[in-house]
This record gives sequence, structure tokens and C-alpha cells, in this order.
Amino acid sequence: MSKWRVMTVDDSAAILTIIAAYLEDSEFEVIAAERDGIMAVERFAQERPDIVLLDLIMPGQSGVETLERILAIDPDAFVVIVSSLGTEEAVHECLTSGARSFLQKPFTRDDFIDFMRDLTQVA
Amino acid sequence: MFFGQYLLSKGAVNREALISAIERQRKTNLSVVDLAVRDGCIDPQCAEGILTRYRTTDAGLEELCLEYGKISREKLDELLRIQRSQWVRIGAALIHSGHLTCDQVEEHLAAFDESQREANQQLAADFCASKDPETVKTVIELSVFHLQRFTNGPVKLLTLSTDGGVLASGRRRYAQKLVGDGELYCALDLPSQLATMIAEIFIGIPVEEDGEVAIDAVCECVNIMGGNACTRLEASGFRLRPQPPFSTEGNEPAGEMQSCTPAFVMAGDFEVDLRVFV
Repeated sequence: MSKWRVMTVDDSAAILTIIAAYLEDSEFEVIAAERDGIMAVERFAQERPDIVLLDLIMPGQSGVETLERILAIDPDAFVVIVSSLGTEEAVHECLTSGARSFLQKPFTRDDFIDFMRDLTQVA
Repeated sequence: MFFGQYLLSKGAVNREALISAIERQRKTNLSVVDLAVRDGCIDPQCAEGILTRYRTTDAGLEELCLEYGKISREKLDELLRIQRSQWVRIGAALIHSGHLTCDQVEEHLAAFDESQREANQQLAADFCASKDPETVKTVIELSVFHLQRFTNGPVKLLTLSTDGGVLASGRRRYAQKLVGDGELYCALDLPSQLATMIAEIFIGIPVEEDGEVAIDAVCECVNIMGGNACTRLEASGFRLRPQPPFSTEGNEPAGEMQSCTPAFVMAGDFEVDLRVFV
């Protein structure tokens, strides 16, 4: 069975490292990791991953702006916001902007894998 | 201040005696998770899962043992009874090693409790006197909570004071701006050894001291503190949004903000300055 191709976008190298470690030996494969929203949009256009895990608070182009540009390329893109900010306002903004789901940091490996597996039921 | 540090500061015990007593505590004072592994009711991998959840969520250890470790309530109660029966407090360890008598410990403990009561009253008064006390209190208390989880050890808020927000020598500042209904920064001023420890606990792999990965990981910890503070404050109708965290060896944002409430925090053996700039 082929793996789910995942792109991670976070200005924090630590979070990218943690997500890559959590997804090791799972049915998910990190095919791209970007620390900047503009680069992430370019990479999305090239790679067309199955799932994009996108940070909300980033320097320069924000998560929501990045989300909108990705959806402009592919309206069916499956983008999930991963953020330490879990306010109702933020969640509402992300979901109405087209994000499919929202995961609040911090999270454990088991919670993260469970979350990802739940995503694949609808992706 | 912890009781052992109090005894040291009062000259009641010397450093060697305190270290010896702490080492004795480390051998006898096992967490309920360690006891569960020793008892064979969970395996080390499950214990690691519980500890990871403990570091990264609001859940307590007992709750996690029941829910994640699948330990029965009866078994957990038995483990807690064993824990209580084996637990050695610092005063008892010092009596056992012959450094203090029972009467001396009781006398110092009474004085320590009194000093803690006064310190807590002072803290409450200082919070009230700070600029925007409700927000400052929420941010500081939540940051202390997360710091405890990120350092895997005891963390205690000792004092609040007012200063110019100057970074102490040998430290690096990790900060985040929160903007919306108000504007503030939360900042952690950390010695590099503690920052490295936090980074390694957070990522789960060794990192180079003062390296990019270590700095980045601590920034992410501050981001989690800031983001969670925004989430908490939203419940009281105060809307804030975090901006990307940053790290500096300078004093920013000291010059740009009107006031700085520094909280002096002990994280294990390390001193931390936790600051809220308003």
C-alpha cells in the first residue's frame, strides 16, 4: 500500500523534526518540509502532497495567506492547520478559509498519529 | 524557594549535606509511573508515553496512568500507598544522615512556612500592582505551568518585581509578542544549559548547546506558552494573537514597552527570569 504523502510547513525546525520523527515507520511519508509560507506554496505546486500540515503563526506570509494560495492552486487541497493558538476565533478563521481540520500544539506522538489516521478517513 | 534551598541559605546545612539528601530522595522518591514499571503493570514504552503526555498536555500523572496506562483504580491506589510509605522528605533525609535533629527541622520548617506565607501574600500584592494584572497573572502562571512540563521537574514562582527588563549576563531571551485587545510580550531569559535541556526534552534528541536547533526548540516552547495564554485569555473576553517567537541576546523589547513585570522562577537548580512586557 502506498504511503500518504505529507508536506509540513512550520517556521520552527524543532516542530518539523518532531513531526518527521512521529511519522517515521508509519503509513505517512514526509515528502517536503518548508519553513516559509512562500516556499511552501511553490513546493505544493510541484509536489501536490496528499496532506499539508501548516503552521498558523509564521513570519512573512501567514498560515492563512499560505492556505489561501494553496487552495488557489488546488481547491481540493487537504490542508490542516497545526498551531499553538487554539482560540475559537483562530479555528473559525482557518476552517472558513478552507482548512479541513485544526490541531493544537503541543501534542504527543500517539495523539498525533491518531489525528492523522482520523484524517485519512476523510481525505 | 524549596525547603532545602532555604536551609542552605540560612546556613543550617552545607552544600554537600543537601546534595547527599537530594540524592537519597532520588533513590527513594519514585514517581507512580516508575513504581508501575517496577511492579510490572506497565512496560517502559508505556511509561514513556505517559510521561510524554504529561509534558505536553494538562493531564496529571494519576489520570494518565488510569486512562493511557490502563492501570486499574485499585492498582493505582496500591501504588500510591507504596509511594507515600517510601517517600522521604528533605528534612527527614537530613535527619537520617545526621546533619539535623528532628527539633531543628521542625523549627526551620515553621520559619520556612511563615516565610512562604509572606512571600505568597507579597506575590498576590505584586500581581495586583502590575500593569494589567489579570493578563500578567494568567501569562505568568500558565508559563510556569508549561515550564514545569518542559523541564520535567519542579518549578516555583518566587517573586515579582519591577525592573527595566535588562537581560542578565550569560542568558538568552526567548520572547513572543501577543497583539489584539492589548499588546504585550512574554519572555523567558534562560541560561544556555537550561535552554539545551528544555530543547532536548521537547524534541527528544540531543542538541548542540546554543545551536540553531536548541534556540529554535525553546522558541517553539515559548510559542506554545503564548498560544495557550491567548486561548486561556479568550475565555475572559480578551482577544490576543501571537506573533512568531524570536530569540535575542539583547534587551528587546525592553525599550519599546511601558512596563516589565519580571517573575523570578526556580526550575530545578536553575534560575529563570520570566518576563511580561506590557
